Amino acid sequence: MSTLPVVFSLSAPRTRKMDLPSNKWIVHLLVCCFVVGVNCNSVDKKIYVKLNYTVSCVRLLNATHQIGCQSSLSGNVGVLHVLESEDNLDWVLSSGPNPPYMVILESPLFTRSVMMKLKSGSSRVAGVAVVAPNTNPAGAFSPHTTCPNENSGVYSETYDPAMANCNKTVWNPLGNGLSYEEFDFPIFSLKDDNDTQVIRQCYLDHNRAVNGSRPRYPLCAMQLYSLMFAVTDTATCMRRNDINLSINPEMVCDPLGDYNVWASTRPLNNTAKGHKMWESAVVAAARLDSRSFFFDIAPGAQSGVSGFVALLAAAHALRDVVQEAPPNRTILYTFFQGETFDYIGSSRMVYDMENNQFAVDLDNIHSVLEVGQVGLRNDSKLWLHTDPVSRRNDSVNKEVEDLIANLRLAATNLSVTPEVPTASQPLPPSSFQRFLRARPIPGVVLEDHQSAFTSRFYESMYDNAEYLNVSYPPNLTPEEQLRFVTESAKALTEVATLVARALYRQAGGAETQLVNINADSQTVTQMLYGFLVRTNNSWFQQLIPSDFMSHLTNRPPNLYVGAVQQSSEPTVLVQFLMANLTGSTVNVTQENCQNQREDENDKESRHMYIYMWVQGAVPPNSTQRQGFCVRSTARLSKAVSPAFDLREFTSKDYSTWTESRWKPISGRIFLVASHELEMLTLGVGVGVLLTSLLLTYVISAKADILFSSGREPTNATY
Amino acid sequence: MFLFFFWFCTETCSDSLPQQDPLRFVMNLERLPNEEKLCLCRKYYLAGFALLPFLWLVNVVWFFREAFVKPAYTEQSQIKTYVKRSGMGLLFWVAVLTTWITIFQHFRAEWGAMGDYLSFTIPLGIP
Repeated sequence: MSTLPVVFSLSAPRTRKMDLPSNKWIVHLLVCCFVVGVNCNSVDKKIYVKLNYTVSCVRLLNATHQIGCQSSLSGNVGVLHVLESEDNLDWVLSSGPNPPYMVILESPLFTRSVMMKLKSGSSRVAGVAVVAPNTNPAGAFSPHTTCPNENSGVYSETYDPAMANCNKTVWNPLGNGLSYEEFDFPIFSLKDDNDTQVIRQCYLDHNRAVNGSRPRYPLCAMQLYSLMFAVTDTATCMRRNDINLSINPEMVCDPLGDYNVWASTRPLNNTAKGHKMWESAVVAAARLDSRSFFFDIAPGAQSGVSGFVALLAAAHALRDVVQEAPPNRTILYTFFQGETFDYIGSSRMVYDMENNQFAVDLDNIHSVLEVGQVGLRNDSKLWLHTDPVSRRNDSVNKEVEDLIANLRLAATNLSVTPEVPTASQPLPPSSFQRFLRARPIPGVVLEDHQSAFTSRFYESMYDNAEYLNVSYPPNLTPEEQLRFVTESAKALTEVATLVARALYRQAGGAETQLVNINADSQTVTQMLYGFLVRTNNSWFQQLIPSDFMSHLTNRPPNLYVGAVQQSSEPTVLVQFLMANLTGSTVNVTQENCQNQREDENDKESRHMYIYMWVQGAVPPNSTQRQGFCVRSTARLSKAVSPAFDLREFTSKDYSTWTESRWKPISGRIFLVASHELEMLTLGVGVGVLLTSLLLTYVISAKADILFSSGREPTNATY
Repeated sequence: MFLFFFWFCTETCSDSLPQQDPLRFVMNLERLPNEEKLCLCRKYYLAGFALLPFLWLVNVVWFFREAFVKPAYTEQSQIKTYVKRSGMGLLFWVAVLTTWITIFQHFRAEWGAMGDYLSFTIPLGIP
């Protein structure tokens, strides 16, 4: 062997030249193969089909409970089973031979009884995937509780025991409380499209039991991964947020919260917090948020959008009148975020007012008019709900009667008829209840239901444009749809006009001016289009600054309040809308506008106003947008529960809702083999390993015998 | 305590070996004279009292053959006592640690705040 290199070096140079061309040929061949023939074939893609659209339910925690879903650390794997009926649950829960099962539910089967049975049999249930239909179901589905926010409103044992815990009126009788249950398996939502058809086909091909016989391996399985970090309750997860000794500290949960939007008809000095002398304000309140069972879908049409769009339109209707004939009192428009979760926004604003952290004080508030769910008036009636307990006081009662009279006066010549429900009926869940907890302020809540909610889909994913009858004739372009005035827009405009006129009267304005106050149905329909169909439309694009353009999408906004760090979509949109609808255009340069001043020397305006540079419309003859500066009083105020500032995580007075953090949520389907085949493969592998080890040992022990041939002759020649 | 450790580290077992020898620490006990074996065994035994049970484990494993299998020589009885005592200390530590680890793993979730303060890494998603 060692003689070979010697032979080579002694040979003629000719042979050496021959080596180089052959080396080059080899290299060329390899490069060609690499470029032409390489075909990346990932084994992963051959096995798994990833789910494209994953919307899951997440874990939320409060002072005492955890709600929502959880998956295991490596994702839950289960054999697919498409549930045919409620009786078919027996296969999943007891008789099926291959537990655990991943249950696919069509939407009619997504009911409380099915889910509770699955929850009780959760050792055999790996997860649930709900197929969301393309149109709303015919029945009712409200995953919220029957008595929303029952422990954080004003009706408690101390205030009035007869009205506490919805003893008098059950506000959401169709509620099944699923959103507030705890599941220890993941629950995902699938769209009813081709991907879901693939899943159903996979089930039909592999998993279907034919005539009672056992389905044979390989079976179609799905893995859902939605690991939630936080457990037990808010106090535990906030403690674990703080402790974190390890090398990369991980936050485990975040408080829910965002910002409230507020504005006033007369500019208030926002830097001087606390009581303002001689200031008497009428608060016009509405709610901005909603939720559903699943994390990212909360269209909230009836429960949120109808209310705040009506109030925005009312504010727009009042813009001119309050400049020309200003009323005695200021009107304070407030849009509260986080009301679904124990009144986060309104409790924070009341707390700030009590602690002199807000521009006005509770003493400055004269009365409250709240616009609740007003989108589904099936007849012309609008119901004025009041609080019977505070009305036992005569002075408060008189003020409330005045407010009701103003509302009736405002409704003359309109197609809306204000009606007063039974005098002893308590207030529905509303932000006004938090004001009443602080002190007895006169107020009215406008709703379209006399006692229980008329909404069949309260706080669910079906509370969308279709439910509010916001429908457009076919074959309209998006631009035409934006401009088209729907029937529901017209109805909402009437409500907005009523609210505007009533607010003006309540603020002390003259009755003669009332005919001039009219809400604009074009504005209302454009707002409804923006908040229920898509936010990326030409009208919204004109009203926002240019750096917000990327946040506009081609679908309706998600009204879920979300964690503090995550800004909720409607909040900023409502602020910009409020600024444009109630503010005025001022002739200020862009630089001054963005620095909150009218000119270089102006130091005072920033306390009273807020300036925004919006990008404006595209003029017909050019492509460049013409921006302008809008001066308004529309501001954001923090909407995080006071429990987190006070660090009272077990507080009973304030909302303690937090949202868990999670790793990226995903799902995939694949075929699984039987357990026996897996064990056989493992056994064969281990056997091959041991055999090879043995063989190597034997060969190396006998190496001198096996490899000794051929040595002696070479030595002998030398 | 500090003075003890100071004395401990400065004293070496291998005074007789030439200074140029790079391999001060040998794993093979065959080549060491018996006095040095005894010295090493005692060092490991004493050092194990500084809450270092692994040193006792090493002592037991390393010197087991010396103490019990080899034919008798003068220092062997002392080595035998050190090995026995190291073994007892090791068993004590094993018992204590096993008990504590079992209790902690079982009850950490129930201890709430105390359990979290005692943990270095808190598992995600489970109580």
